[in-house]
Amino acid sequence: MERHDIRVEIAADPKMLHVVRGLVRGYIEQVGVAADRADDVVLAVDEACANSIRHAYQGQPDARLELTLGAGPDVVEIQVRDEGVPASRQALERKPLAPPDPANLRPGGLGVPLIYQVFDEVEFRVGDTRGNRVTMRLRRRQPAAAWQERNSTEGKD
Amino acid sequence: MAVQISTTETEGGLVIKVTGEVDLYSSPELRGAISKATSAAQSTVAVDLSEVPYMDSSGVATLVEGLRATSQKDGAFVLLTPSTSVMKVLQLARLNTVFDIRDCL
Repeated sequence: MERHDIRVEIAADPKMLHVVRGLVRGYIEQVGVAADRADDVVLAVDEACANSIRHAYQGQPDARLELTLGAGPDVVEIQVRDEGVPASRQALERKPLAPPDPANLRPGGLGVPLIYQVFDEVEFRVGDTRGNRVTMRLRRRQPAAAWQERNSTEGKD
Repeated sequence: MAVQISTTETEGGLVIKVTGEVDLYSSPELRGAISKATSAAQSTVAVDLSEVPYMDSSGVATLVEGLRATSQKDGAFVLLTPSTSVMKVLQLARLNTVFDIRDCL
């Protein structure tokens, strides 16, 4: 990400997910993401962090993940990076969430489809021996001018 | 954030009342409660999700496990009055039609 507003290192501990959600919600409200999309964005970022904690680090207590948040006039970009075990390419494929077959339900495997479902662009990069990076982009629905206007008048009252 | 879970026996079946956020941190506790309830000899297991302001896919997975466990025993697995936030996650995961969602038992 060329320019970002926040980059934080977070302990890869499930307890931290509550804190991550608060941070992401606060940030996307600040940069003017419509309220009806906020819940979904918070969920998808939580899923990306949970994947790093659960699958990449497999519960290593001293591991860290990195969360980066940035926004421009047209796009909000959020990145989650870890130094853990690379995910399999198969697990990161974009698969449509079909109406499930009740006789053939399986728990789990929902995180990645949810991330694809929420964000407009999703890019996974996996290292050869270690590391995962997911970059998630949300295209703004409201015109950039409205956001810039809002941004430039903030803090004046 | 800890989650509070209590299981009550009612005329309609076992009701698991969940209060708090269900995420990767707290879902093991819900998994335990659901597994305990579904292995007990009851026909219906209900999970009251009205006081759950947030649920992620690990929480949804515990519900899918509960549904599978009860259907193997020909029992019913019911979600009681899910909060708006929980309903949104179920819809996003396309699982809202799979569960038996009710206002009361």
